Amino acid sequence: MARKITMRQALNEALDQEMRRDPSVIVMGEDIVGGAGGGGEEDAWGGVLGVTKGLHGKYRGRLLDTPLSESAYIGAAIGAAACGMRPVAELMFLDFMGVCFDQIFNQAAKFKYMFGGKAETPVVIRAMVGAGFRAAAQHSQMLTPLFTHIPGLKVVCPSNAYDAKGLLIQSIRDNDPVIFCEHKNLYATEADVPAESYAIPFGEANVVRDGKHCSIITYGMMVNRSMDAAAELAKGGVECEVVDLRTLSPIDWDTVIDTATKTGRVVCVDEANPRCSIASDVSAMVAQECFKALKGPIQMVTAPHTPVPFSPFLEDLYIPSVASIVAAVKKTMAN
Amino acid sequence: MSVGRTKPSGPVVGIIANPVSARDIRRVIANATALQITDRANIVLRVLSCLKSCGVNEVLMMPENGGIRHHVRRGIDRAENQRTGEFPNLSHLDWKISGTVSDTIRSAREMKERSCAAIIVLGGDGTHRAVVSACGDVPIAGISTGTNNAFPEHREPTITGLAVGLAVMGRVPARVAFAANKQLVVMVGGQQEIALVDVAVVTECYVGARALWRTDTFRELFVTYADPEVIGMSAIAGLLKPVSRAEPFGLHVKIGTAAEAKFAVNTPIAPGFMRSVGIRSYARLAAGKLMNPEIGGGSIALDGERELSFTENDEVSIVLKNNAFRTVDISSCMQYAAKKGLMREPGVRRQS
Amino acid sequence: MAKKPAKKSKPTTKAKSTKRVVKAKLAKPVKLVSKPVKKALGKRAAAKPVPKRKGNVFPLDKAGLLAAYRTMRTIREFEERVHDEFATGDIPGFVHLYAGEEASGTGIMMHLKDIDRIASTHRGHGHCIAKGVDVKAMMAEIYGKVTGSCRGKGGSMHIADLSKGMMGANGILGAGAPLICGAALAAKYRGDGAVGISFVGDGASNQGTFLESLNLAAVWNLPAIFVVENNGYAESTSRDYAVAVDSYVDRAAGFGLPGVTVDGLDFFAVYEAAGEIIRRAREGGGPALLECKMIRMFGHFEGDQQTYRAKGEVEDIRANKDCIKMFSERVVESGVITRAELASIDDTAHALIEEAVAYAKAAALPTAKDLTNDVYVSY
Repeated sequence: MARKITMRQALNEALDQEMRRDPSVIVMGEDIVGGAGGGGEEDAWGGVLGVTKGLHGKYRGRLLDTPLSESAYIGAAIGAAACGMRPVAELMFLDFMGVCFDQIFNQAAKFKYMFGGKAETPVVIRAMVGAGFRAAAQHSQMLTPLFTHIPGLKVVCPSNAYDAKGLLIQSIRDNDPVIFCEHKNLYATEADVPAESYAIPFGEANVVRDGKHCSIITYGMMVNRSMDAAAELAKGGVECEVVDLRTLSPIDWDTVIDTATKTGRVVCVDEANPRCSIASDVSAMVAQECFKALKGPIQMVTAPHTPVPFSPFLEDLYIPSVASIVAAVKKTMAN
Repeated sequence: MSVGRTKPSGPVVGIIANPVSARDIRRVIANATALQITDRANIVLRVLSCLKSCGVNEVLMMPENGGIRHHVRRGIDRAENQRTGEFPNLSHLDWKISGTVSDTIRSAREMKERSCAAIIVLGGDGTHRAVVSACGDVPIAGISTGTNNAFPEHREPTITGLAVGLAVMGRVPARVAFAANKQLVVMVGGQQEIALVDVAVVTECYVGARALWRTDTFRELFVTYADPEVIGMSAIAGLLKPVSRAEPFGLHVKIGTAAEAKFAVNTPIAPGFMRSVGIRSYARLAAGKLMNPEIGGGSIALDGERELSFTENDEVSIVLKNNAFRTVDISSCMQYAAKKGLMREPGVRRQS
Repeated sequence: MAKKPAKKSKPTTKAKSTKRVVKAKLAKPVKLVSKPVKKALGKRAAAKPVPKRKGNVFPLDKAGLLAAYRTMRTIREFEERVHDEFATGDIPGFVHLYAGEEASGTGIMMHLKDIDRIASTHRGHGHCIAKGVDVKAMMAEIYGKVTGSCRGKGGSMHIADLSKGMMGANGILGAGAPLICGAALAAKYRGDGAVGISFVGDGASNQGTFLESLNLAAVWNLPAIFVVENNGYAESTSRDYAVAVDSYVDRAAGFGLPGVTVDGLDFFAVYEAAGEIIRRAREGGGPALLECKMIRMFGHFEGDQQTYRAKGEVEDIRANKDCIKMFSERVVESGVITRAELASIDDTAHALIEEAVAYAKAAALPTAKDLTNDVYVSY
């Protein structure tokens, strides 16, 4: 039975249901409970934006607040996973990857391969991504490309509450290390979410809008903007197909190739910076595999090659706008 | 910094600061501190400035790679930059460091050869014992930076430095400044060792990690003095029948299991570590009387560290020796200084 | 510096000659020292008091002593042989040899079971062998063969065997410390009494991961033990340069953890201290740090010309700081074990390594499909 809940609540529900189902699931991170060691409320925060609120009371001893020590506790989550636990570690902001990246990309990502297949690291690292929160340069990045580049990691970035719950459940059940990206600007968005537990497989993109003229391939918060752009373009008779990638590694190349072949016109929309972005990754694959089917040059709509600015006026310019997506579609349609 | 061969101006004080005392297993099994290197260096700096204020201009130190030297040098350099003039000239003995107790022994011997007026020792009982084995007649002043520290008296090192300074400058007469101390001499086969506080005979043969804590293996205890205010093996004696450092005899305690013992003494044998020790008997230990252990085989712990093992085939003897070595009597020096107004000055000096 | 010729080092009675040499040096300036003091000096000048008594004065029974010798000897044989084979050019990549450090790994690992976990450094062969990883599979891995511990996919720096609780040698220094916090967390969560041991060197003790792990282990009271194998060098850089205070116990104290420093060349000192620390951790007493002071016999990596060493330093190590020789001296002198028994173990170890090298050389290489498999469990 589905009901409207926010993405925040959907994520909380996913954690709750998986923790109930599997005692080896533990959660750790900074302030995921909150108030540790102090004289105030227990479960003071439940995560800096409240995603884990209320779980501490249900699962005593399975949610661990950590010291401000990413390389230690992310590493500990990875080590515990290698020893058969299923930890969900929160990195708070994906921007903090710098201080613990070795544990993620040189350790977790490589154990299975380096140890000849004889290791499994079923760890989930949840982290906030994305701009629009006025959180400035070090708390607003879309660093997904850095992780999709690494063999051995899986990267997930849901665009809505329904996908968020299903993909987080799948991430926890998955036996590989997963980087689960939560767009901080989407926490409050609502969708119809079933109360029961369900998992969405990785590597399956979602075609959220059918269209025959142009394919907009995107993920995360850009899905909504792409839908807005598509609505505007539809007024002018241009029907866009919008594809929500959902998981960036593994990526659903089949759907990407199908949609590119179908429409012959592709616009990749990505909140990341342009160099080595997901947009460039998808564009290259489309150019290679669908060259004959293309009717016009592939367009990429990304953030500029700058850090995220603070001033709201500038930040709003930074994030790819509906207008820029519309312009890109028109450009590829023009040929 | 190498030592010059020219005659120094005024008395030279030696300092032996052990960087590796207080690092053994008692950090884990008891609640023993591990006094940090920087704290040991700070103690040295306190002592140096007090020596200087008494007029001691030359200090000679044991070389080590444990880090004390670097921190002391930094402290001295800082003072030089600020022109406080608060430290004496500091030099180190200059030879290859082994990082073992032989550095301590060699330093003590060389400080004696260079006629140091006194040697200040930072270490535990083991360090002090090593120094005494080689320093001859040079008086020592102990600062406890080890685990049990039954031998060096516990006091603020600043006072130790001050008292030594007054003593070596002759401000306090020798009969007041220096005290005679007892020693236990142990012979196992042909090998001789000394102990400054206690000799324990235990049934456990293993001499490896050197720290003593399994009370069920204790058989006999010989002490030079018995102070109820210290911890370690000698505390067993101290809590039975106190004997001062000045009295010309010691104590011999026979320890036993629950079956053999007449009663037990609940004793702090390590920091924060109380153990019940069964007592069969105890008696005064006369100086010069050769004692042999009751058990045929086991090991001997000297000042709380298991050092020697023996079997039926070995000749083992333990004897108490009076007037074996000298210490600077810090308490007497300071009492004398107060009584005679040694620290009084005609007017108030400008301090930098 | 020329590469060393292959030789089987056999234990010799070196301790006595060492004493004589030191005594002679001291004898020159000493003129006024009394006899008892001279005697005490002569005896004390040796690095460690060597018990000349008969009977088992050790904390292990004869079988345990033989097992310890066997492990140390196997490591030494393995490393010496890898050194020789590497010089022929048959071994790809880099190897970092543990020769000279055997007493540390062995003294610690003898207290562990398969369920206890360790994480090692780039210098991991000794830890692997002491933890029970199959020697033949290790050798095959070093040669990049498909029957290697990691199917040829890891190499010397990444040998692992999770079934033996060996979470891998690691090419990233300090990376093992957080992983061991995780292993210890898992053990604590399950209540299975297992411990985790993280090995780092004096150089890696400066890594943030190590220091953060000390704090995390302390605040979560994890059964995690941090062992600093202080061999004095981080590649070519001496610890006297790189480590602000050469005391890792002091670092642990900064996080409220107890620490013990032992002579890492003395198997018995390591064994006893490690035993107490591990027992305490198993019983919920929490984390601790063990510093083992030691030397390494070879360079940082094979091919390292070791120009950063002082003249005669390596020769001095081989002559005077060989932990296996010192172990042999002590057990033989006590009468518990005969030279013949040790020699028999030497032969067995040698034969095992011979077999391992032959096995490795004859083993098959991975195939092309091994390139792309085992990246994920499923993708």
